[in-house]
Amino acid sequence: MSRTMRTRVFLTGVGGQGTLTATKILAQAALDEGLAVTAGEIHGMAQRGGVVESTVLIGGYQSPRIAHGEAHVLLGFEPLETLRALPYLAPGGIVVSSSEAVPPIGVARGKEKPVPLAEIETAARACAAAVHFLPAISLGLRAGAPQAANMVLLGALCAVDRLPFGLARLAETIKANMSPRLHDTNLKAIELGAQAVCEAKSA
Amino acid sequence: MAHPLLSAAPGDIHLLLGNEAIVRGAVEAGVEVVTCYPGTPSSEVPDTFFRLAPDGKFSFEYSTNEKVALEVGGGAALGGALTLTTMKHVGVNVAADPLMTLAYIGVPGGLVLLSADDPGCHSSQNEQDNRIYARLAGLPVFEPASAQEAKEMTREALLLSRQWQQPVMLRTTTRLNHLRGPVAFDEVREPASAGEPVKNPRRFVPIPAVARARHVELLKKLEEIRAWAETTPFNHVSGKGGIGVAVSGISRAYVADALAELGLTDAVRVLSLGVSNPLPEKLCAGFLGSVNRLLVVEEGEPVLENELRVLAQKQGIGVEILGKGFSGLTRLGEYDTRIVAAALAEAAGIARPAAPACAVPAATIAALSMRPPNLCAGCPHRAAFYTVRQVFGDSAFYSSDIGCYTLGILPPLAMADFLLDMGSSVSAGCGFARASGKPVVAFIGDSTFFHSGITGVINAVFNNHDLLLVVLDNHTTAMTGGQPHPGVEVHAQGSNACRVSIEGVLAACGVCEVRTVNPLNLKATRNALEELKGMKGVRALVAREACIIHARRILKQKPVQTAYVPETTDSVRACLDTLACPAFAADQDGGVTIDETSCTGCMVCLQVSKDIKAKKRGNK
Repeated sequence: MSRTMRTRVFLTGVGGQGTLTATKILAQAALDEGLAVTAGEIHGMAQRGGVVESTVLIGGYQSPRIAHGEAHVLLGFEPLETLRALPYLAPGGIVVSSSEAVPPIGVARGKEKPVPLAEIETAARACAAAVHFLPAISLGLRAGAPQAANMVLLGALCAVDRLPFGLARLAETIKANMSPRLHDTNLKAIELGAQAVCEAKSA
Repeated sequence: MAHPLLSAAPGDIHLLLGNEAIVRGAVEAGVEVVTCYPGTPSSEVPDTFFRLAPDGKFSFEYSTNEKVALEVGGGAALGGALTLTTMKHVGVNVAADPLMTLAYIGVPGGLVLLSADDPGCHSSQNEQDNRIYARLAGLPVFEPASAQEAKEMTREALLLSRQWQQPVMLRTTTRLNHLRGPVAFDEVREPASAGEPVKNPRRFVPIPAVARARHVELLKKLEEIRAWAETTPFNHVSGKGGIGVAVSGISRAYVADALAELGLTDAVRVLSLGVSNPLPEKLCAGFLGSVNRLLVVEEGEPVLENELRVLAQKQGIGVEILGKGFSGLTRLGEYDTRIVAAALAEAAGIARPAAPACAVPAATIAALSMRPPNLCAGCPHRAAFYTVRQVFGDSAFYSSDIGCYTLGILPPLAMADFLLDMGSSVSAGCGFARASGKPVVAFIGDSTFFHSGITGVINAVFNNHDLLLVVLDNHTTAMTGGQPHPGVEVHAQGSNACRVSIEGVLAACGVCEVRTVNPLNLKATRNALEELKGMKGVRALVAREACIIHARRILKQKPVQTAYVPETTDSVRACLDTLACPAFAADQDGGVTIDETSCTGCMVCLQVSKDIKAKKRGNK
């Protein structure tokens, strides 16, 4: 990792998955590391099951937006949303995504067919230099709460060597910015996320 | 300990949302009065003030609508207070009447109007560009492009407004409101009134004779402010070369990143305008004369572009000006670095950056299942809509309004046939019914009812219209995050002592037939609707039950029971088909389950299908 590395991270998920908390923590970690950072969020429909997209741009960008073809890392909180966001990925980009689906309303109502995870993985591999799918909700549950899936994914993000800081910085920022009663679960969650990526790499 | 936005020391750096940076800027300026009507993307500004209010040195209010907010704010500024009034862009339409007058008579205490525009319609009914309002009314416009600048510009806009005694517009767009960036804090100025108000009706009462004289004063003031705009550091020129870029608003961030990516940072001259109205003509003319070709980059309408074209024509400057219509620069939606980089490259005559190539075809992406925002599981609006559909089906036209309940547009509820603006459900519904002879059911939320529904109700009674009005009272302003309104019982900071009764207002407006039900009780709701359906004239159903988010966060209600499906039957499937509660899930074999985490225990589905049962949470 290099402190001069410029990185655009595109985060996508479904309302209620904690993408905005993850965005804030990731941006704060960059700031705590002494790096230039801009983040962007789209609010408004988050409570109501809509798609929530956000951005963290580290290393001296002024724009809070990421256009198609610009994201160095795509951090997907839900596999269908990862698939939908693949056009944002830059050539040679990295995909880190939860493998656990939150069905859209059409699928839940039985009106539309779900996209099989294998198809999503294949599409991601066709677009990205590296792809990591991990069961973020299950790992969050193992850390103490399914809501910690967002921290699992941040841990995994730290393990792909595309950020100018690592897991230790992320842990410090979590301790300084989140309620103490969440520390154990969230710190465990980032460990599990990082571990999932590292195990897959060495496998 | 007071919140860092109030107490943090000069030099401290905090990661702030653009909207939080606006709050800090106002605190640093010593803001005394803050008024608002909430609306995305502006809402975190008033919501943050609301949270800070117990420890703040300012008066804060959620006003009933934007016109009222600007009138209270305008009155406060006339009374000597440094004032901030906030709203979303379409709110300025509601507030346009006082806005036009305020610029004429001026504001001794200082007044900044935050207009949060929404190019791309992330959460709005249009993309109107309120820089045009500022020009119509005669307001200087500040347009920040970073969190730091949002803080600086809010502070300066407030202080300059007091100095100029003229209202100022702080114009943001969604990306600015909802970006997050480091902000270095400055000193907090102790709030201080502009002084005892002095009676001066020859200035402050714009009867025609006064208004004519004040218009002269306004134009004079704008020339003074134009002279200031020539030298403010918010407007500056950088770079060198024969290609020029004039840029305002958040596009300044896109231009900076695009120039860096293209390696053109030193090869292009950039005129960056943080304050583009009144246009600093000397600065701009000097810039126009220094380049051979000018690209104007601004989202929305060609406001700056047209003003620069006029300036070039007036001063006989023969520069080539490119703007809207050039290389993908449109009046639609938002820009980004890619759009801007393509235009810059074309203007500079270098190769355009390669278009992004994704291995997944665009058509595949476009065909994926969508996630339209949906009414929550347990939302009382869903129950009300379900029953209205049971009673009226497609025989009625549904006049919708602005709030969560607009989401009733989705099938199978399909409870929105037309919509104009806040409060239009009532009055547009009346006009539609009179012209078409069709039955009209109008839906309005509690906050929207107080915002601008009431005048429509009075009009409906006065003009003998035929309308069934359903007031969906969920005890809060749900869509924008749960702000209080005059009818709420409790909110995030306590109870509402002076609660205004919706039934009382309806009765006082002359609506004789008013029924109140809990929409979660389907039978009672159906009976009331059947009864009202058989009547003529203006009649109202108040469907009252708390928003589930409000119930959880503020009323601290915890569901005890959950619905479950012992066995999937046709009636269970029919319930999913007609109610479409998002707690339900159908598997690919046609089995239906209810997710206990999502289910709020509203028990509406049990009334729809006898094959759905209730159980205690956690019981197998």
